[in-house]
Amino acid sequence: MANESVATKSYPLYEARKKVGAFLRKIKFDHWKGWIYLSPAIVLLLIFTAWPIFNTVRFAFLEKYSSLADLNPDITFEFGLGNFQYVLEYQYFKDCLFNTIILCVLTVPISTFLALLIAVCLNSIKALSRFLQTIYFLPYVTNSIAIGMVFAAMFNIVGLNRADINASTSLGIVNNIIQFFGGTPINWINAGSGYWENIFVMVVYIVWNALPFKILILLGGLQSVNKQYYDAAKIDSTPKWRVFTNITVPLLSPMIAYVVITGFIGGFKEYSSIVGIFGDTMGPPGAKGRLNTMVGYIYDAINGSTKQYGRASAAAIILFLIIFAVTLVNLQVSKKKTHY
Amino acid sequence: MSEVKNVNTNPEGTITTMVERDIKKVTARQKVVKVISQTIIYIFLLIIALVVLFPFYWMIISSLKSLTEYRYNIPTLFPEKILFENYLVAFTEGKLDVLFVNTLYVGLVSTIFSLVITVLSAFAFARLEFKGRETLFAILLATMMIPGELFTITNYSTVHKLGWINTYTVLIVPFLVSVFYIYLLKQNFLQIPNELYLAAKVDGTTDLKYLWKVMIPLALPTLISITILKMMGSWNSYMWPNLVTSKDSMMLVTNGIRNANFSVSAMGGEGSAADINYPVQMAAVAIVSAPLFIVFLFLRKYIMKGVSRSGIKG
Amino acid sequence: MKVELQNLTKIFPGRNKKVHEEVIAVNNFTFTIPDGKLVGLLGPSGCGKSTTLYMISGLQQPSGGKIFFGDEDVTDLSPENRGIGLVFQNYALYPHMTVKQNIMFPLQNLRGPDKMEKEAMIERAYEVAKLVQIDELMDRKPSELSGGQQQRVAIARALVKMPRVLLLDEPLSNLDARLRLQTREEIRRIQRETGITTVFVTHDQEEAMSISDLIVVMKLGVVQQVGKPQEVYDNPTNLFVAKFLGTPPINVFDGEVKGGKLYLGDAAVLDVPGVDDCKVYVGIRPEGFVPAENGALEASLNNVEVMGRDVSVVSTHVASLNPVVRSIVDADYKISKDDESVRFDLKPHKVFLFDKETEERIYFEVK
Repeated sequence: MANESVATKSYPLYEARKKVGAFLRKIKFDHWKGWIYLSPAIVLLLIFTAWPIFNTVRFAFLEKYSSLADLNPDITFEFGLGNFQYVLEYQYFKDCLFNTIILCVLTVPISTFLALLIAVCLNSIKALSRFLQTIYFLPYVTNSIAIGMVFAAMFNIVGLNRADINASTSLGIVNNIIQFFGGTPINWINAGSGYWENIFVMVVYIVWNALPFKILILLGGLQSVNKQYYDAAKIDSTPKWRVFTNITVPLLSPMIAYVVITGFIGGFKEYSSIVGIFGDTMGPPGAKGRLNTMVGYIYDAINGSTKQYGRASAAAIILFLIIFAVTLVNLQVSKKKTHY
Repeated sequence: MSEVKNVNTNPEGTITTMVERDIKKVTARQKVVKVISQTIIYIFLLIIALVVLFPFYWMIISSLKSLTEYRYNIPTLFPEKILFENYLVAFTEGKLDVLFVNTLYVGLVSTIFSLVITVLSAFAFARLEFKGRETLFAILLATMMIPGELFTITNYSTVHKLGWINTYTVLIVPFLVSVFYIYLLKQNFLQIPNELYLAAKVDGTTDLKYLWKVMIPLALPTLISITILKMMGSWNSYMWPNLVTSKDSMMLVTNGIRNANFSVSAMGGEGSAADINYPVQMAAVAIVSAPLFIVFLFLRKYIMKGVSRSGIKG
Repeated sequence: MKVELQNLTKIFPGRNKKVHEEVIAVNNFTFTIPDGKLVGLLGPSGCGKSTTLYMISGLQQPSGGKIFFGDEDVTDLSPENRGIGLVFQNYALYPHMTVKQNIMFPLQNLRGPDKMEKEAMIERAYEVAKLVQIDELMDRKPSELSGGQQQRVAIARALVKMPRVLLLDEPLSNLDARLRLQTREEIRRIQRETGITTVFVTHDQEEAMSISDLIVVMKLGVVQQVGKPQEVYDNPTNLFVAKFLGTPPINVFDGEVKGGKLYLGDAAVLDVPGVDDCKVYVGIRPEGFVPAENGALEASLNNVEVMGRDVSVVSTHVASLNPVVRSIVDADYKISKDDESVRFDLKPHKVFLFDKETEERIYFEVK
């Protein structure tokens, strides 16, 4: 590198570049560049996110608003709380709400507790740890509707509605296992099955499906906990259960709060796992819609021949408010219980 | 002061007794306790693993059984005769070829566009200075709290008005922008030191070239995670496609397989319409599940990393 | 290439454009960097030295004033068109590229008449690598290099497109003490060999003094003094500059001038002809003390630290504004640690007077 080449290097485009640069600076191009990069996202968000927020609220307050409005633009809809009143007084909606809450209240604690137990156990072994971790994660990479069909097959009694119930009838592998241990087979999901049997199947499936994510998060949390706390506890010969309740759970509380909150949010939007097991009839044969949920109600409302946008919107807003309230309560509780 | 003296002079004090314990006995007991507790833990974990794996196992062996064998009173844990025919029947009866092509097309196109939009937006939020940046980002994050069903209602009405029902567009466009992906990638971009951007600027690198040559390679793991999550989302989506497609030719995998008629009677067997030909259905489910499994086998790390940061299925 | 800064000013707006929250990072900076010199911008953090560097680079736009490279006004020119090389404090090497790719990266951006063939690029990259002595490491990734080696790569990357001006932002602060010494020699050598006008920013006065042709001392956006390192050290224009330069730092006293004599406490320690009677700050360099049996300045002795050729005498004095008075004297003077006190005469050219209000230098005639 000679001195000369540095000194003699010419910059012929200087003047032109300078002018362009000055122009771009004058129109403050740098201030606009960001918006240009964002424009595709913003356009789509305006159409499919911003407008819907506004419009869905509008629908909810337009009484009985439905797809009839598209056919006949002369129909006017009164502004009011009619949709909310209708939905909240409608027995079927209340059933859907009840189903949703029941599933949430049962599955979130069970899956969280199980996941915590599994994560702690996984964290305390060396051999096979990664292998088991991978296995536990498998349910996550499945199609929840497809595997729901497998669960349905496992719980299903084949041929109950046929005349010949004996020789070629399978009670389903779950009943077979119950029989193997000397129990009586149960009609889980077939025609004539009971509500709580249905719920039981749903709880088993939802928990099975929810475990991978929770285990992953909690195990990640456990692995980031400073080992020194455990060493200190060991030196003080703290019993294992006390280590669990006094060290592990408090240190893990942010992660536990996280899986509980996301669990509740997911739980209130439960829908496809029920479709997986019962199909879009949302219930066993002869009891259509028995297990329908909030989300299912919303879909049914807009999927009918007359699309009841108003009622669906009212239901969606109620769902949003419930999720919002539950999240707030959860955050409040976890703030008190979280130790750092 | 006197208490301290007590401990030192009193040979029966607690500290001394601990030292005088029979070390051998303690060691032996310690070992036994450890072995027992480890055994219990392993048994528990293996039982859970069995429970987790059993549905997959049942799916596969059922899919290889004949209908008659499937209906045995006492089930067989391994098929007497392995029947691959079920897969063939499932493939043709379920029209899985159409479903696969549709899903792949929708998945690929929406992933590519989604990635481009996400990268551009994340770059703008992470590196470019403009008025209203923080406000806009806060608004975007706030929309993440709203359940998707609230959007679906209006979007459904919108796409109806646009005449998009039963098109690929309707399956792709409404979900191209994910605030969550933008957030994820923005965080990743922010970890890249700003000096790299300044250095590139000094060297005369344009923003786009910098994005392509520096930001994208450095954020590749996150981009892979996003790609996989997006593909999984397309593969698993059910509700929206079910709303906006009615034609068989436009169906995606999940709808197709749920709506497919695998009943015994539909396939010319004897039995009522409610009697499902489970071996064939299980074969169909196995086929549908296989791609995700294969992807998982190869990209386990990225998937688990992406999921641990997302918590959103699909 | 001569670099000229005219009334350079940078104001960062406060949040929500509140005027009182505005920060004046650089205030009316006028200075010409002569061609081919190595200039150190020196000051404590927040003094505006990095902002000045970034404005020269074009990464930041001045709020006022102009920048000339030679005779060209480059104020509105974007960084890539200025022909500069910039080395960042943390090197900013692209972690996913090899050393060679990193060095070649700037060349690949050249367009138009400057565009280069691939072979030429590689040749140039090796040429520069040889100059900074990293040609053995071309296929490694930055993470496989030591801090000093990364620093060299960064310099190579800045030099490869033959910049007209080389800018270094705190180039040595991420290195350990031994490497720092070595690398600063290296920078000096590279600068000499290439003859590129170089500006570097540092908060370390020793570093700046040791390698710069010129140093610029800054404080809160205002230039305090410009000059050759030795000149600035010997002739600080104000108390800040005097305090900022020198290790060990200058000793500062409360003093008073009465009738042409400087009083520290009750003792007249020095003749300061031509200075009106007033209260002053007195700065005395550690090497400005000469032990003398009947010296004018008496201080109570704390400790004597042997440093080899010199000894460091640590004492206390009532008028001192520092906790201790530190003086460096030749080891030939025998000072016993056990003495109660020590007496000094003062070297007049190592004693500086500063106004109590403005802290500006008050000059007196040195005989």
